[in-house]
Amino acid sequence: MEKKIAVYICSGCGIGDALDIDALSKVASKEYKADICKSDAFLCGKNGLELIKKDIAEEGVNTVVVAGCSSRVNTDVFNFGSDKIVERVNLREQVAWSHTGDDEDTQMLAEDYVRMSLAKLKNLNIPEPFIGENLSSTVLVIGGGFTGLTAALESARAGYKTVLVEKEAVLGGYVGKMYKQVPMKPPFTELEENSIPALIKAAEDAGVKVYTSAVIAKTAGGPGMFDVTIAQNGTDIEERVGAIVLATGAKPYEPEKLGHLGFGKYGNVITQSMFEEMVAAGKMEANKVAFIQCAGSRDQEHLPYCSAACCIESIKQALYVKEKNEEANVYVYYKDIRSNGQYEHFYKRAQQEGVIFIKGDVTDISESDGQLTIEADDHTMGTKSEADEFDLVVLANGMVPTAALGDLVEQEAEEEAAAASDEPKATVPPVVKSNLLNLEYRQGPELPALKYGFPDSHYICFPYETRRTGIYAAGVVRAPMDMLSAVEDATGAALKAIQCIESTIKGEAVHPRSGDMSFPEFNMNRCTQCKRCTEECPFGAINEDAKGNPLPNPTRCRRCGTCMGACPERIISFKNYSVPMIGNMVKAVEVPEEADEKPRILIFACENDAIPALDMAGINHIQYNPWVRIIPVRCLGSLNLVWVNDAMAKGFDGVMLLGCKHGDDYQCHFMKGSELAEIRLSKISETLNRLGLESERVRATTVNIMDYDKIPAMLDDFAAELEELGPNPMKDFQ
Amino acid sequence: MEQTNKLPEKVKYDLKFAREIYSLENGSYIKQCMQCGMCAISCATRDIMDYSPRRLFNLIKLGKKDEVMQANTFWYCTSCCTCLVRCPRGVPLVDVMHDLKKYALDNGYGDYPQAAFYKAFWAEVAGRGKSFEGGITARYFLFRGLDEVLKYMALRDVGINMLKHRRLPLLPPKKVKDLGNLKKIIRKARELSGKEAR
Repeated sequence: MEKKIAVYICSGCGIGDALDIDALSKVASKEYKADICKSDAFLCGKNGLELIKKDIAEEGVNTVVVAGCSSRVNTDVFNFGSDKIVERVNLREQVAWSHTGDDEDTQMLAEDYVRMSLAKLKNLNIPEPFIGENLSSTVLVIGGGFTGLTAALESARAGYKTVLVEKEAVLGGYVGKMYKQVPMKPPFTELEENSIPALIKAAEDAGVKVYTSAVIAKTAGGPGMFDVTIAQNGTDIEERVGAIVLATGAKPYEPEKLGHLGFGKYGNVITQSMFEEMVAAGKMEANKVAFIQCAGSRDQEHLPYCSAACCIESIKQALYVKEKNEEANVYVYYKDIRSNGQYEHFYKRAQQEGVIFIKGDVTDISESDGQLTIEADDHTMGTKSEADEFDLVVLANGMVPTAALGDLVEQEAEEEAAAASDEPKATVPPVVKSNLLNLEYRQGPELPALKYGFPDSHYICFPYETRRTGIYAAGVVRAPMDMLSAVEDATGAALKAIQCIESTIKGEAVHPRSGDMSFPEFNMNRCTQCKRCTEECPFGAINEDAKGNPLPNPTRCRRCGTCMGACPERIISFKNYSVPMIGNMVKAVEVPEEADEKPRILIFACENDAIPALDMAGINHIQYNPWVRIIPVRCLGSLNLVWVNDAMAKGFDGVMLLGCKHGDDYQCHFMKGSELAEIRLSKISETLNRLGLESERVRATTVNIMDYDKIPAMLDDFAAELEELGPNPMKDFQ
Repeated sequence: MEQTNKLPEKVKYDLKFAREIYSLENGSYIKQCMQCGMCAISCATRDIMDYSPRRLFNLIKLGKKDEVMQANTFWYCTSCCTCLVRCPRGVPLVDVMHDLKKYALDNGYGDYPQAAFYKAFWAEVAGRGKSFEGGITARYFLFRGLDEVLKYMALRDVGINMLKHRRLPLLPPKKVKDLGNLKKIIRKARELSGKEAR
């Protein structure tokens, strides 16, 4: 496309007072030969927009550069259709509002930003969406328990063809075997009838296609085009589905490991699920029952996490005993009663019914004449305690996600890793061969396990979302939870699956870059088959073909650009985001000579948290260092080291990477972008030394959106350190 | 906070006493105490109590009758109601404390001076419909014995000053009109007190 570029400079919102608009116009029209350059005092107003639209209609402008507010605001206002490129120059939040007005340095900053944007346009093109062939909008739900049935029902009711696969012969799962279930509606004090039969009927009525006694033998493809092989009674059935909800639930923790609580030793020490079956069968006769909470959960020796539902289930079971015999003695030994949310009312109800709650650790269980004695440390009273003549002891043995059951998949690339062992590597999450999805993905057959084997991806921003696009985990396979949360989870995951299907049909990315039409393009004839892109893609979007070349699956891609940052040959680029594009931006900055004593610091800032934080600083009119030049990146994972090289060669005195927090409680929206960036950065000292530079000139820092007030000090500290190092010796050689 | 109470080495849960307390007018509210400790940190007289209200409730749950009944906790409750407004579970602690006082008196655990004062005040008001300081004092000493009188002689300056300022009348006031009806009211209230307030 032949670009006809028009630059519109807004002088409203204080920009006109802080900057010399005429000088800015000269940069655009004289230096960069923009076809049209105009300014307006209120560009987002009626007249301002009219001005732009008139030029588009009459002059054939197809590339609009709006120099004014941040690209995070007014996106709807400055949208001139999908066939026009719109580029935003942030003169408001990042210049006029955060730097001294009417000042030489501020003016230079604004001019550099205009240059950078115009330089970026040189290689930028309108993305053409990838539309897969024969796309399916069927939702596949794996697991026919409470969560799976709810998810299937919700997606069927939303008008999507739904397929449900259950490995047992009957639907219902764990909840299906229950005598009664915990309250699901106000006042949250009454036991409810088991809802599974009603759910099964509703799902059937809604037209859900059910496969029982069936497992997923193979999952290939990507969102919109998953080809799933369902193995049922020795026959294989092929289904093409658009998105998958994984609701395979959890298994009770193995009680055999709880010998210290008497399981296996005494016949009347049983587990929650055994008690449930006993009551459902009408065989429960006990009148003095003890429930022991956290039997396995919150125990470093067993399950380190809270299983979240056992407290409420035990309260429910205690009420079974009271329901049968009001005079029965029921004791609950607990660490903390975790009756989240509205279930506090349920806990109170049990107390009112006379269930005795003892905060204490059980130290010993002994038996005589078929009756049990429990010794414990009563923490409320600070004494030892003893209670005897129990007919029955019920252990709340917690839950283990089905995704964590199985052997670890051996990391295939071990030889390669050995060869490159001196290089630091990003931590690869383990994949457990749990036989739930059997993915045909290069990165392993199942979802990567995060903490404690749960396959969640981003606890804060995207629950349900896993690290495999289009596959959404819901219910207790994702995280331990009670039934009320499971309903929410099932519904949420069904909606996410639908959103994924709809986005894929339009060729758009799912979140966080929702609506992004771009996707990575590979210049294969220069590929060296180093496999870094296939290894580092956080979403397993890149497989490998028979010849060992990367085989991208565009519908799995979330457009973070991690592959682009990883590629040493720089053969991966997006139509609107590429290595040369950012390189041009770096090179477009005018770096003053050493004698001018105007240092320059280049900042690569993540668009998810760092850029909003910088904008927040501007909105709050917090002033920061005028030597910085900020380049937004999709994720620090897309940072290609050549940019740092370019910056150093250009004469920048320092480079700073602003990314998200990484580690166990990471904040990165693309899982490990900032971690990867830091790892890549650790390799750069060699490059810097080759240039005769100190590696301290480049640094990575983590910020989150709330750190906006700390950013000025961060920048000033870095500037002060750079001053000590002295100016970049490359400065005057460009 | 240092625990001023004396706890048994090992406890066994005895539900008989607990059930007896639960059957008091407001006793069943004790069941819904979740041991958060809000009452304890709110209590103005917590420092001189044997057990904080929370611990007292827990002792009831354990069935420690002697410890509960011999505790000074409910006698030191000033009915300031701070715990009551703060209790997240809505336990009416002040009413529970009143119930415990009555239960203690009825069961012969009235050794605390406050118990004698309660009895003296009540006898005076029930008999006359009004309080008479002289009568209350006399009854109090009657309940507590001669030793207490000698102890209180040290306070005679205060007594004389109060007399001078007519704050301690020597003669009892007139009874309220229609004392018979008041007694009926009291009788009815006694009947109802056995039933739960809820």
